[in-house]
Amino acid sequence: MAAEIEGRRKTYIPMLDEMLGGGMPAGTSMLFTAMPGVASEVFGCQIIAERMRNDGDISFIYTNTRTPVEIEHVFHRYGWDLRSYLDSGQTFFVDSISPMMGMPAIGKYMIDDFKESEKVVAEAIADIVGGTAVIEDVATLLDSIGVDQTFDMIERLNEVARSNDVNMIYLFTRWNYEKVMLGRLSGIVDCEVKLFSVEEKVVYRQVFAVTKSNWSEASGTKIFFEVLEPGGVRVFIPKLLVTGPYNAGKTTFTHAIAPNTVSVERQTFELFPTTVGLDIGHLDYKGFSADVFGTPGQERFDLLLEPLGREAIGTFIVIDSTKPETFVRAKEMIRMCRTEAIPKVIIANKQDLPNALSPDEIKKKMALWEGVPIVPVSATDEKGLSEALDTLFSLIYEI
Amino acid sequence: MIPKIVSGIAGLDELTGGLPENTMTLVYGPPKTGKSIFCYQFLRQTVADGDLCSYLMTDYTQSQLEQQMMAFDWFIHDYIRDKKLYVIDTASGSVGAMQKETKNMMISSPQNPTDIASKVIQQLQDIYQQTQQFRSILDSSTTLFAFNSPILVIRVLKSYIMRIKMAGGTGIITYTEGTAETEIETMLKASVDNIIYLDSETITIEAMAGIRPKSAGYRITDNGIVVG
Repeated sequence: MAAEIEGRRKTYIPMLDEMLGGGMPAGTSMLFTAMPGVASEVFGCQIIAERMRNDGDISFIYTNTRTPVEIEHVFHRYGWDLRSYLDSGQTFFVDSISPMMGMPAIGKYMIDDFKESEKVVAEAIADIVGGTAVIEDVATLLDSIGVDQTFDMIERLNEVARSNDVNMIYLFTRWNYEKVMLGRLSGIVDCEVKLFSVEEKVVYRQVFAVTKSNWSEASGTKIFFEVLEPGGVRVFIPKLLVTGPYNAGKTTFTHAIAPNTVSVERQTFELFPTTVGLDIGHLDYKGFSADVFGTPGQERFDLLLEPLGREAIGTFIVIDSTKPETFVRAKEMIRMCRTEAIPKVIIANKQDLPNALSPDEIKKKMALWEGVPIVPVSATDEKGLSEALDTLFSLIYEI
Repeated sequence: MIPKIVSGIAGLDELTGGLPENTMTLVYGPPKTGKSIFCYQFLRQTVADGDLCSYLMTDYTQSQLEQQMMAFDWFIHDYIRDKKLYVIDTASGSVGAMQKETKNMMISSPQNPTDIASKVIQQLQDIYQQTQQFRSILDSSTTLFAFNSPILVIRVLKSYIMRIKMAGGTGIITYTEGTAETEIETMLKASVDNIIYLDSETITIEAMAGIRPKSAGYRITDNGIVVG
């Protein structure tokens, strides 16, 4: 991460400022490209609300998707009081939606024809020298005035913003546009942050990543976030779950992928240690950072499975390849973790033993769901670990 | 055999064998041909089957839906109370912006597809936790066309259809013929799996997996649409 540089203007999005070397240089533009369904407007709200609160910033919001009244309500939900800033003139609307809905426009500027957008927004930019402009939503412009016209407009507005030291924040819902067009759009802004989801049948986690930056390194590191009402964008450290039947080698596997793991174990009557609490570790692998939780396999600890599963973004199900009689229990644990809807990989452990079943034989015996990968591993010899991690991460991120 | 579900429209299933499971059906035709009533009947069947339903309504509110169904002696009060109905209401629009939202009752705006998509997905997450079989209704896409650029609506509908089907749902989308250009209508038809046309006298199955196009007479009675 780049060191913080004097004069950078914070976005107040956690982790984003760190990744951008402190924030945005004055006069630069940032595009938030959001997969449909992923919260994007909160990023625009947070940047201007926190800048107004902390830096006395001046700003405006250009809207073609929500009426000013609705936007005020959205800010309120996240815990920011837009009204007082509107009253004091610290922020204002460029209202491009009310006239089209046949309602009276609210705000300093209004647009009743999309073709007027550029002229009006340029005037508004000149009103907020050194401030911040939020433009929502680029998708509506693209599909209303046309791709080339929208690009020309954005390029010219960015010029006006540069000469007025204004930060442009574009919000863009990425419906099924062509790749070439998306590349061109990315090319005309200084910085692009992609917002996307991690999913298995349904979206269950949201992620952002800086994919382009003209002033800092764009590492592409994926940051998991959630949106709180009130509170706004919050980042969190994803959790991976390691579960599976008793004595399948979960603790050995957890230690192998996360070497600093702490375990609570005790000797059983059979004289090998078994986990009676949790294995807790942390993993840094190819730019992915996650906490790892290994569950105990004994049935008396089953009550732990559900809350752990709820927090997890991916699951390793460790099975003992030499003990097909435990496979039913493995499937039961998957159900109890409620991890049907998150990516999972079966770890066919103990492949070093002579009587270990092959992945294909296990697949047949377990009657696995379509598409759940099974990776042969020997946790004691640390064999198959990177294959296991790569397989799960590629499922999580759909690489 | 393609797994089918009961549509709830009297006589239609005799004609088609039911709606193919995990597909999206477009129900379209001129105004006042019974498209919304088709939706009520589909919902009524969902209630009878005890399935969950994701209902995106653009022209009426949840209480208006309840009233309109009550006119046919169809009651959904218990169904709503049991949190089996998931509503996104864009009819209340900006006047309803201050209304309290719950997981089952969300408000959005017809001109803000980004917000609609985000709410659909929030509700699908909740539905998916409970079941992998549910039904969905979007009545009506016409309103979305009225408030947005038509090509944007096609993008939105494609994304919506993909989401519903990925989560395991079987759904219907209504559309009033002639509100968008022919080219857009063609794109709309290409985005769905099955197409049903209503013209106030005849119901035509224009496309459906496993069956040939066919039509039959229908009328709207006190018991809703009756085919044949």
